[in-house]
Amino acid sequence: MIRYLSYIAPLLTFVILLILWEFLVILNKIPLYILPAPSDIFSSLLVNYKDLFSSAFVTLRITIIAFAIASFLAISLAILFSQSKLIELSLYPIAVIFQVTPVVAIAPLILIWVGFDNAEYAILILATIVAFFPVLANTNLGIKSVNNNLHELFSLYGASRFQRLIKLQIPFALPFILTGMKTSIGLSLIGTVVAEFVAGSGTSTGLAWRIIEAGNRLDIAKLFAALILLVILGIFLFLLISYIEKIVLKKWHDNSIR
Amino acid sequence: MLIFKGITKNYKEPVLGPIDIDIKSKSFVSIIGASGSGKSTFLRIASGLISQSSGSISYKDNIKPKMGFVFQDSTLLPWRNVLDNILLPLELTKKINPESLEKSHNWLERVGLKGKGMSFPGELSGGQKMRVSIARAMVQGGNFLLLDEPFSALDEVTRRRLEDDLLEIWETNNITVLFVTHSVTQAVYLSQRVVVLSSGPGMLLEDLAIEKNFKDGFEETPQFLSQVRHLTNILKEEGGEI
Ligand SMILES: Nc1ncnc2c1ncn2[C@@H]1O[C@H](COP(=O)(O)OP(=O)(O)O)[C@@H](O)[C@H]1O
Ligand SMILES: [Mg+2]
Repeated sequence: MIRYLSYIAPLLTFVILLILWEFLVILNKIPLYILPAPSDIFSSLLVNYKDLFSSAFVTLRITIIAFAIASFLAISLAILFSQSKLIELSLYPIAVIFQVTPVVAIAPLILIWVGFDNAEYAILILATIVAFFPVLANTNLGIKSVNNNLHELFSLYGASRFQRLIKLQIPFALPFILTGMKTSIGLSLIGTVVAEFVAGSGTSTGLAWRIIEAGNRLDIAKLFAALILLVILGIFLFLLISYIEKIVLKKWHDNSIR
Repeated sequence: MLIFKGITKNYKEPVLGPIDIDIKSKSFVSIIGASGSGKSTFLRIASGLISQSSGSISYKDNIKPKMGFVFQDSTLLPWRNVLDNILLPLELTKKINPESLEKSHNWLERVGLKGKGMSFPGELSGGQKMRVSIARAMVQGGNFLLLDEPFSALDEVTRRRLEDDLLEIWETNNITVLFVTHSVTQAVYLSQRVVVLSSGPGMLLEDLAIEKNFKDGFEETPQFLSQVRHLTNILKEEGGEI
């Protein structure tokens, strides 16, 4: 019962809020260009589905590519760190600097370097930078968390560095990596959207562009529709990684390691 | 099998020794002592996992024996099934051959887990995990088994079963066993010889050959009780937390 409740309760709350919203807008006669009712948003979604969905696809594509590149680079770098303390000490602070620098602040620079004609690449690079750090930090933490007895077990049998990495450190870090990825996928989406905003009209036709466009035309219903698609994208991506995590870690419901 | 001469270990301060001891081949030796007395350190030095600060270790015929190590927690890899966990030592030492799987299956059966080969550690009880850990330590066919408080987290009944199984493995495989425990009764019950370490730095306080006239019902004999009492008194006088 509690299990179903965790789905039903938020869903019901959401529906009630929507109904409340609908009635408040109708009762107070709030104009469409200030706050559209849910029904207006829904009909705008139906009318504009072609632009909106193709834009959502553009945003989704960049988000996923950026996420994949970021994950690959971050995991590789964390593995490199595990092999050399010197490299870790030298490079980690640089990674932190990237992490704390707001993406909006470096976006213009990247755009200039990549060229305004290649706005898509600029967006990709920016989203990658944003998505990079959580995977790096978590993989690094995971590899470091390998319990000392397990290391000794491998030493006892004369395991090589490579064996230790492949048969111990990486599998041990897997749950950590997936935790990092769950944060990272959301950040990748945020990074993509923010970068799209900064890159402006140019060649980009992602959801951010639809939001700007709708805002300029005071088509608030369409703006909301784009926003809702964005939220749905975010939830979908998070659930996707959670699902992958569940499958990969199915056998791990376990305490044998602690 | 193994001779320690003037072995010491210092971290920031001395934690062990100097210790001189001769562990005879095929014997079952227990080490007891207060927590922090250097029992684990002793075992790690004996296994070559860490090196001593001074002193020398020599092995019989100057050949380092093949060792199996059983840790306090079972240290199984949760992402591998039971069989693959048992295979790990053979994998790491690149000794995988057609007989490897057979050996692993044999050991699985020996420790009473036939049919559990495809289970994952997360699906096993604490006692079963420890059994897998013992099978893993034995699969290489080593002749020296070191155990660091292996059963201390288990319930009484499970522990007793594992103790008897361990004795059976020791007897039938002609191996030498070095067993660290903080339980005096366990040490007397299992071993031929009990070594007591003083609380830090650990030095030999007592080295007692256990007299055991018959095996069945040994724990009910006055002989057993008097040896337990003797060792307990030594530990009490020494103080420290067990
Ligand atoms: N790697 C280490 N670095 C520093 N001190 C250690 C290390 N390993 C053990 N010690 C210290 O050595 C002493 C003996 O430890 P240990 O051999 O684990 O004792 P026991 O197993 O008898 O409880 C303890 O005081 C412990 O803090
Ligand atoms: Mg210990």
